Amino acid sequence: MTRRRRRRRAIIVPVVSMGDIAFLLIIFFILCSNIAREAGIPVTPPLSADLEQVDESTLVVAIDGGGQLYFQGRKVHTAESLEAELTTHLRDATSDKRRRVLFRCDQAVDRSVFEPAMDAITRAGGIVVAVGAKSTPTRK
Amino acid sequence: MIGTRRKPRRTGCDDIPVASFSDIAFLLIIFFILATTLVQTQGFHTEFPRGEKSDKPPTKTTTVQLHKGTITLNDAQVDLARLKAALAKLKLHTRTGDDKVVILEATGRVGYQRYFEVMAAITRAGGTICIVREEEEGP
Repeated sequence: MTRRRRRRRAIIVPVVSMGDIAFLLIIFFILCSNIAREAGIPVTPPLSADLEQVDESTLVVAIDGGGQLYFQGRKVHTAESLEAELTTHLRDATSDKRRRVLFRCDQAVDRSVFEPAMDAITRAGGIVVAVGAKSTPTRK
Repeated sequence: MIGTRRKPRRTGCDDIPVASFSDIAFLLIIFFILATTLVQTQGFHTEFPRGEKSDKPPTKTTTVQLHKGTITLNDAQVDLARLKAALAKLKLHTRTGDDKVVILEATGRVGYQRYFEVMAAITRAGGTICIVREEEEGP
């Protein structure tokens, strides 16, 4: 018995459009992303059940667990220098949205460190957006 | 006149090589995925009134005091749940101007966790936080 061999067709996967799809995805990510300015700063956020979603801001003040102050990911040594930098940034801010300053502080930091920082934001004309993590309310 | 056929010129390569484009694009995508923060930020907005140094204690204003983890509302010790209930009773949402102000005063060692919980509770209740900073010499 003789069998006829089937002719195998070469399968061609069209990959030309893959580049287009990929570039469209890149454009999507560029438009949607907020580059993490405070990446690498170890901060354990405080927990609370009374939080809501807040918009990201371009200005970020952070305090790590050791009490080190950061502005835009750079170390700042005193609250006075933080105030000076913030004043420069907020000079032309007219709307409330542009005056928002994200405040990320470690939950273990003492008030002798975070109070002057919050005061500096206020004195510079900023609106403090205190960032934390939502905790589920405890039931009694 | 006899028509002559011209031989088409041969070029080295007709197509632009685009095969590596997708590789580059996907590498860029991976970069953006890693650099993007997908988690929504949670917190609260609060605009502290800018104050000046004063020795006079404020009068007729709701005052929350924090001292080494204990919360006091108008001189009565409360826990966080009671503070929230008391603030809700004050109906700060309906008030305007200075009537919305809640003075927040901390003394001694107070961690940011406790402070944050209280600030969040006041903001949620519709109050405007006014921080009173004591100039202390030691803890």
